[in-house]
Amino acid sequence: MSNKPWHLNRRTFLRSTAGVSLSLPFLECMGAGEIAKNGPKRMCAVYFPYGASLPKNDSPDANWSWMPNGEGRDFTFNNSLKSLEPFQNDLTVFKGLSHPNGRKMGGHDTADIWLTGAQFKGGNFRNSTSIDQLAAQHFGETTRYSSLTMSTDGGVGEPTRSSTLSFGRNGQPVPAHNRPRLIFDRFFGINADSMKSQRQELKTSGSMLDLLLDHSKSVRKNLGHQDQQKFDEYLESVRSIEKRVDRSQRWLDIPKPEVDASKLHLDSDESTPAEYIRTMYDLIFLAFQTDSTRVATYQLGNMNGATSVAGQFPQLLGFGNKIHSLAHGWNKTGGAEKLGKWDQYLAEQLAHFLTRLKETPEADGSMLDSTIVLYGSSNSNTHNNNDYPLLLAGGSKLGLNHGQFLKFSKDTPLTNLHVTMLNRLGVPTEGFVDSTGELAEIVA
Amino acid sequence: MISLRSIVSTIACVSASTCLAQVPDFETDVRPIIEKHCAKCHGPEKQKSKVRLDTLSTDLISDRPAAETWHDALNAINLGEMPPEDEPELSSEDRKILTTWIRGTLKSAIAAQKSTGGEVIMRRLNRMEYQNTMTDLLGIKADYGKNLPPDTPSEDGFKNNGAALSMSPLQLEYYLASAREGLSRAIVSGPPPEKIKITTTESTKKSNRENSTNRLGYSGSFVGKFLEFPDEGAFIIRVKARAELVEGKAFPRLKATFGYRADTQTPSAELGEIDIISSEATTYEFRGRMEQFPVQSRTQSKYPGQLVMLENAFDDGIKRKDKRTIEKEVEVKNKKGKVQIKKQKQTEWIEHDDVPKIVIDSVEFEGPIYKSWPPEHHTRIFLPSANRENGELIYAQEIVGNFMTRAYRRPVEKTEVQSMLRLYTKIRPTSATFEDAIRDTLALVLVSPDFLYLVEPETGDGKAKTALTDHELASRLSYFLWSTMPDAALFEAASNGELRAPKKLATQIDRMLAHEKSWQFVEQFTNQWLDLASVDRVAVNPDYYADWDDIIKPSMQAETRHFFAEILRHDLSALNFIDSDFAMLNEPMARHYGIKNGPRGNAFERVTLPADSPRGGLMTQASVLLGNSTGEDSHPILRAVWIRERLLNDPPAPPPPNVPPLESEDPNFAKLSVRKQLEIHRNDPACDDCHRGIDPWGIALENFNAIGNWRTEIRRKNGKKFITQPAEAQTELPGGHTIDGVADLQDFLKEHRKDQFARAIVARLTGYALGRNLEFTDESELDALTEQFSEADYQLRPLIYGIANSDLFQTK
Repeated sequence: MSNKPWHLNRRTFLRSTAGVSLSLPFLECMGAGEIAKNGPKRMCAVYFPYGASLPKNDSPDANWSWMPNGEGRDFTFNNSLKSLEPFQNDLTVFKGLSHPNGRKMGGHDTADIWLTGAQFKGGNFRNSTSIDQLAAQHFGETTRYSSLTMSTDGGVGEPTRSSTLSFGRNGQPVPAHNRPRLIFDRFFGINADSMKSQRQELKTSGSMLDLLLDHSKSVRKNLGHQDQQKFDEYLESVRSIEKRVDRSQRWLDIPKPEVDASKLHLDSDESTPAEYIRTMYDLIFLAFQTDSTRVATYQLGNMNGATSVAGQFPQLLGFGNKIHSLAHGWNKTGGAEKLGKWDQYLAEQLAHFLTRLKETPEADGSMLDSTIVLYGSSNSNTHNNNDYPLLLAGGSKLGLNHGQFLKFSKDTPLTNLHVTMLNRLGVPTEGFVDSTGELAEIVA
Repeated sequence: MISLRSIVSTIACVSASTCLAQVPDFETDVRPIIEKHCAKCHGPEKQKSKVRLDTLSTDLISDRPAAETWHDALNAINLGEMPPEDEPELSSEDRKILTTWIRGTLKSAIAAQKSTGGEVIMRRLNRMEYQNTMTDLLGIKADYGKNLPPDTPSEDGFKNNGAALSMSPLQLEYYLASAREGLSRAIVSGPPPEKIKITTTESTKKSNRENSTNRLGYSGSFVGKFLEFPDEGAFIIRVKARAELVEGKAFPRLKATFGYRADTQTPSAELGEIDIISSEATTYEFRGRMEQFPVQSRTQSKYPGQLVMLENAFDDGIKRKDKRTIEKEVEVKNKKGKVQIKKQKQTEWIEHDDVPKIVIDSVEFEGPIYKSWPPEHHTRIFLPSANRENGELIYAQEIVGNFMTRAYRRPVEKTEVQSMLRLYTKIRPTSATFEDAIRDTLALVLVSPDFLYLVEPETGDGKAKTALTDHELASRLSYFLWSTMPDAALFEAASNGELRAPKKLATQIDRMLAHEKSWQFVEQFTNQWLDLASVDRVAVNPDYYADWDDIIKPSMQAETRHFFAEILRHDLSALNFIDSDFAMLNEPMARHYGIKNGPRGNAFERVTLPADSPRGGLMTQASVLLGNSTGEDSHPILRAVWIRERLLNDPPAPPPPNVPPLESEDPNFAKLSVRKQLEIHRNDPACDDCHRGIDPWGIALENFNAIGNWRTEIRRKNGKKFITQPAEAQTELPGGHTIDGVADLQDFLKEHRKDQFARAIVARLTGYALGRNLEFTDESELDALTEQFSEADYQLRPLIYGIANSDLFQTK
């Protein structure tokens, strides 16, 4: 049995759950015998802004193209994705996919709809549910948290400049966490209070929220029409944390997994990008490994050129310019290489994450086999809303057929990939927004 | 119903008082162009791509599909896709009319859709307001908002806009946790904790790698260790120190950090910085609360004791060596006991005579400090009252009612109190103590909408606007000028109906502006209006600026805040924002600007600028210049957009999708000056439409490099080498006015754009005061305010009176 520090101690686990009937979290991390044959199905989506370096094949900088050379099963990576070579058979790279609804939007506007595909323009910026949240709703009660939403900029940002990839039931943005310490405390932090006082506190919270809901409804009556609409966000939030308190009560007896924080840079922030990005990936990995959640999204940077704190990452790491400027310069002399090196750096971070998934055994394979990782952007190169750089890794046990470089025409909407992902995750989906079917090429 | 036409023309004016960008008329100006260029393929005969333009609705407010089609058409024109290659090109003039009409009409349609009819959308307290309000309400300073997700700003960059601020389950969850934590702190139990008072005179040393000393120079730190310490409560650390000053150099600066937790490796947190100005031993005080700092674990710590770290933060921009390795001969006994002389390497710390020093005599820790027990923050909840003897429930009623009145910022009805007491009644039987049950009940108050939002219930029929209640007015005023809840005096003035008379209102405003809390207004408004956070988003490239140190960034931002505060508090003309003969500087900023004989300390002082200084006004401040640069060079477009948006309230249209990069066939393009590059860029008519109105504003500032220093030459990397070019700041402003450099630009603004600038400040300040987007229905009141503003010599105080007295502010 592994002695990894984040593995639960089986004894404590059993003692505290004795006599309690619960839908238990996945047990692999304890090395228990009664493991479901296939590990839990998980998904993660990681987004980078402003697209990638895509010099033409005949350009002197062609080897800095994000897209591989070749097609189908016969393809080789260029410099940018070189670090993903060990995963060539665990992933598929896509060319040509994009959201038709995004093609009419402004160049900076499309991060909002990367996982939703929504029609999102004119004055009416109402988004719809993102695929990760659909999956989260489906997996529902099986984990302590239904999803982990992260971004470098944090919060929700503003419509067309979203700082989150995740949108809930009514298209309400789900605020993204951006501080590693806070995420860690939430997922793995040990509450020093006694079990009894925690239970008491949750019980009180339950009564509180009941009354609050009553009270808020009477407040609502006295509001003007427009305020009422705004106020519904509040009511919805009260209802939602009522459910969460309920859920916490049921999870109270199951100790939070113990995780070794010493190798994590929990106090890293936007001024230390190398540690920060690494830590964000590590947190997703740990959340998955401990089965604290099965759904995670991470937006590396939003497309609010002027205000994104992630903008200066490449500057701080020695890549010379802000992300936005690098992206703008991709077809200037030497620009493809400059942006390509940044693409390369980001791919290396992804490779680190995939390596951890792949090196962690689960059931009769690795964690990567049952984790679908979507990675990419919603621009091809700067401000161009076609032909997104995208790749899908992992999930071979979920019925994905990898090891391909697939090219599509504009007629295939990106939502076909979304539908394919959802179905493989066991979230039965016939159609999603403007989808026209599944991507049969990647279905095993 | 107001006609579309009138909306269109008025909205154009909201952003630009001079109405520079008049939207053309469709029938007379636009239709002929469409007939001529588009109708062949998108007209009665053919409808390529199913698009017909000549009959397409121009009412973009009610006809959404038409708006979409016009939007597509705009993009196609901008991209040069339409008209197609085999058709005659649009003339520059026609293209401009067409795109201006589509853009303007779309913009007004969007504005109309977003319009709230001039109503403030129920405003949630933003993170800073929440932080301040909790602090004032509970009487304990702590970081209440630390876990809340960042707030969404409005289009104008304001973070107090009701429509933009949202609520989410996560947010509410943290409000609840924060309320519980804060109340647990405010409510105490048991006998008064014992006060600890310890003095240390010696620095603790953990390893030889540290220069542990009482004499702090370029290197060196004093680490005070206190083996006894409380877990919570306020404390004071008194440092007795003296300075060894150096003629002509800044004061040494004592930087204190406090707390370190070994087992979790939680780093210490900053306690404060103070200039040490006297050569006489003087006692300097730092105050804090234990809860805000990492507190050493008492059980399993390898390094027991609570630590305070003192350093000399003196910085004159000169980088020095702090240590060298020396070889010293030492006597060593070998195994046989024989004495040998061996050479050993040792670190020697270098003293620099030109660095002023701080000598630490002693450091004293005192805490927890309570003026009384139970402390005031407890007794303001558990009031001394006769009801204490009348049974718990009656006393609870009084406590909760009193707390609600302050939390809701208005008198509360008995029924409201009863409704909160339902929780108390429910949980009291299972709560360990009376205090516990009260704490949870008050936590419920703190997550109620009445606390978290500025609730202004509808009183009329919902159609016409109605007057605010006195307490609603007090709250608006308080969040405007203090970013927090009304204090007792303002609350009382509201209760006595004293805020309606303009004179009494002015008295309150004067009192509020004189209060230290008004710094919260200065900080919030200046940060958001001028986007001072931009400074944090630019990383300066050390290849270009070898001496650069990020440590100056906070001073740059502070300069601008102090500049605003100086103009506000001394009733100076707001035209000083354009150009001034003084600057607000501290030592680092004066050094950065090369201003001699300026302040010696870190405090900001008013400095009269030398006649030959290019400084004066916002546009010459490093915060603005750096924030709108690339970190290597200036960014004339960003600077231009900043001027048009922030100073003239006339933001240019956002760039169209799929912008072609700034590039040219010319192999020497990279070697051209920015001004020349931009000229080439404007050769493309699609770019020129907008950019001739943008670029010149930024080019005028070309004499300032990325970090805001004056330059006559631009250094730029070409390959691995640096090349230089002359800085070119001569340009032609829209309207044909030729200027050369920042001084000309300032003169131009003062002479020709004074009204627009005044109007911009009025709009920004009013938008901030109201917490909502301005709309065309606000026009006439904004006009009136602008007129008053100019009559009052552009002083901000009378403008604040005017805003507070306006119908915009006083109705809902």
